Amino acid sequence: MSTHSSETLVVRGACPQDCPDTCAFLYHVEDGRLVEVTGDPDHPMTRGGLCVKLKNFAEHHYNPDRLLYPMKRVGPKGSGMFERISWDEALATIKSRWTDIIAEYGTQAIMPHAYLGHQGTLNGLTAGDAFFNRLGSTVAEKTYCESGSSTAWIMTVGPTGGMDVESLAVSKYIIVWGMNMLNTNLHGWPFVLKAKAAGAKIVVIDPVRTRTAKQADWHIRIRPGTDAALALGMMNVIISEDLYDHDYVEKYTLGFDQLKARAEEFPPERVSEITGIPVVDILTLAREYAGTQRSAIRQGVAVERSPGGGDAVRAITCLPALTGAWRYPGGGTIEMPIWEFPFKFDFMCRPDWIPPGTRVINELELGAALTGAMPLDPPIKSLFVYNSNPVSQAPGAGTIVEGLQREDLFMVCSELFITDTAKYADILLPATMQAEQLDIMVTWGHLYMHLNQPAIAPPGECVPNVELFRRLAKTMGFTDEHWDLDDWDMLRRCYDWDAPVMKGITLEALKEKGWMRLDVGLPDERTPHATGDFRTPSGKCEFASSLAAGGNFVVPVWRSGYEAMQPGTSVDPVPNYIPSVETMLPDGASAFPINLVSPKPHAFLNTQYANEPTQQRRQGEQIIVIHPMDAGPRSIEQGSYVRVFNERGAFEARAEVSEDVSPGLMMTNVGHWPGLNRSGTAVNSTTSTRHCNLGQAGTYSDNRVDVQRV
Amino acid sequence: MTHVVTDNCRGCRYTDCVASCPVACFHVNEVRVYIDPAVCIDCSACIPACPVHAIFEEFDLADDQQHWIRINAEAAQRYPVIRTRLAPLDGADARRQQLGL
Ligand code: SF4
Ligand code: SF4
Ligand code: SF4
Repeated sequence: MSTHSSETLVVRGACPQDCPDTCAFLYHVEDGRLVEVTGDPDHPMTRGGLCVKLKNFAEHHYNPDRLLYPMKRVGPKGSGMFERISWDEALATIKSRWTDIIAEYGTQAIMPHAYLGHQGTLNGLTAGDAFFNRLGSTVAEKTYCESGSSTAWIMTVGPTGGMDVESLAVSKYIIVWGMNMLNTNLHGWPFVLKAKAAGAKIVVIDPVRTRTAKQADWHIRIRPGTDAALALGMMNVIISEDLYDHDYVEKYTLGFDQLKARAEEFPPERVSEITGIPVVDILTLAREYAGTQRSAIRQGVAVERSPGGGDAVRAITCLPALTGAWRYPGGGTIEMPIWEFPFKFDFMCRPDWIPPGTRVINELELGAALTGAMPLDPPIKSLFVYNSNPVSQAPGAGTIVEGLQREDLFMVCSELFITDTAKYADILLPATMQAEQLDIMVTWGHLYMHLNQPAIAPPGECVPNVELFRRLAKTMGFTDEHWDLDDWDMLRRCYDWDAPVMKGITLEALKEKGWMRLDVGLPDERTPHATGDFRTPSGKCEFASSLAAGGNFVVPVWRSGYEAMQPGTSVDPVPNYIPSVETMLPDGASAFPINLVSPKPHAFLNTQYANEPTQQRRQGEQIIVIHPMDAGPRSIEQGSYVRVFNERGAFEARAEVSEDVSPGLMMTNVGHWPGLNRSGTAVNSTTSTRHCNLGQAGTYSDNRVDVQRV
Repeated sequence: MTHVVTDNCRGCRYTDCVASCPVACFHVNEVRVYIDPAVCIDCSACIPACPVHAIFEEFDLADDQQHWIRINAEAAQRYPVIRTRLAPLDGADARRQQLGL
């Protein structure tokens, strides 16, 4: 802490959001009030600026709609009628209801539901894992995002951080594959611009002509869900024209012959038919990529959001080993460098507490689990939601709403606001915002540790998640030492502070500096895999994955550390192109002719900030972007209100007619609160709950709809 | 929505704003800079950087300043991108004083 004027106290923090940038914050506090949150100008990624989403972050803490006290439901389910109660009453109610449920149905009738509404070590994704594992609840598989990519990455290169986003500055050829970096990784973009100024070519592969695509030297429009075919087609060209690095392949990869055989099935002509990309462009991309030593691929999470998404990530992740790009600084691929951080997941999640044989339910199947469409014994009798908002963010929202209306379902929700999900709760618990709590931020987009220190007192009776679960543990009579640890003790035990990458990093140093870089080498020199050193069973980049023998799996961090009860469905050792179920139907085979993709919004962070009037003004209302050839025959004009629908559900939006999408493709944004939309619904009313082929991720991009003017 | 550079920039061309922009959306001519609305990501990093308070978020523009939205959009098409800071124009400090800043 330091003071920069007589009255303003400056406290160091970091952004809580599920965004790869994890910006370094400076909290400005006057008389105990948070007056401004700015970006740390000295941080190499943050560079002093935050983003449009977090622009009014200080005011957000004082939003008059904030949930400040525990509440109980006093009207019908979903009516939003609540009455203030004390923490004691809330905890006593939970204890009595859970005790009855456990007596009648067992502990597995209780299911938690969480995701990354907060990205802290103490308060984030895994905040409740130890508690629910101790309770013996159903294990919830949290695969909203990134789980498919995680499985794919680990099968191919192991839990390595891969390339540093800052190393892009020294790349000579950058492929941004399935990511609108200007919207969702904006602090990575200056490194791309630096490379461009030094002569690098920037290629964006995206079905939509996004803001990022418009800034690229070359935008390649790809049909959603066909990325694996493009990557295999590139390999076909690279291998048949002998553009690959024989020495690297020989020494540091496994299964080249099998990969070669697979790539032979994907000549450019076939790939062109699948992807919609002209043959000449496939040839040029493969030749330019393989012909540049310092070539980098920035993978976005969009790639996994289709039925074949897992194999697409595997295929893309094979490319830099084939061309030997890993040998050079600025060469390789970036997926999610999180694996570089020495977490102690066994302490954070306590999987040792999971009773053997405990079942797993995937969170994206929440609707089916609650309505009985998924046969369950025992049924789910209680749902505990924190850090997540499934009614807006999970696929198949209609069924989820149906399930949440069950009178016999005892639902508890810890939240900041009464969201579309929280309004169905029986008990609401008030959570703190970031300026009010201590945490080390988990980051999946760079290589810095960040300590977020509390700058102001929590309002009302809000508590951080870590304290919530301590209270629940005591309420349920758990006497383990775990529940007596304070936040600092917990942080000490959540990381291996003696790991080599933590050289020089201590909690004490973080208190003063706010953030510190892992000791993993400098961005412009770093070559983590110049001589192999992959973290796979073979130590090589596995074109033919040895982990495939065990079948499909979800990386344990996404399932409370649990290793057992994996999906185990068969996985081809070599990545293949697996066609989408809906998108790739031939014309006329579906009653719904248009493919709808739903990337993240510009001014909201998923649903967060979408209830702020200033952010609503910046984002605008829910829109769909539709091609003139699809709009014309439907009499849809610029600004028309339309209804988008399929057999699963519908939502209304305002139309923007534009050639930024191709004919047969529409785009909308996820994140608008259904209850604030015209129709009371949003895009996930139309999405399916099918999974991607790896890691049980969602397939939000494989969604056929039709649209009509209202 | 976007951000726009208003008249205070003319004759000063302090380019502190340019150094703070993460997406290189400033365009420059002999006397001032403009923001390309198709590229600006609304982060507002440039606003505090400008010593003469020339930059506004579109929504914060006064009624008599609305024309700057169109001027920025059009000028950004005409003039080249500026990626790094330039020396201020001669007379920039005088103009800044004249603006009372
Ligand atoms: S949402 Fe992302 S870009 Fe915005 S402040 Fe947070 S970490 Fe930075
Ligand atoms: S800092 Fe202000 S005055 Fe200088 S160029 Fe930028 S907008 Fe113009
Ligand atoms: S708001 Fe951000 S993106 Fe827009 S011009 Fe200013 S610095 Fe650049």
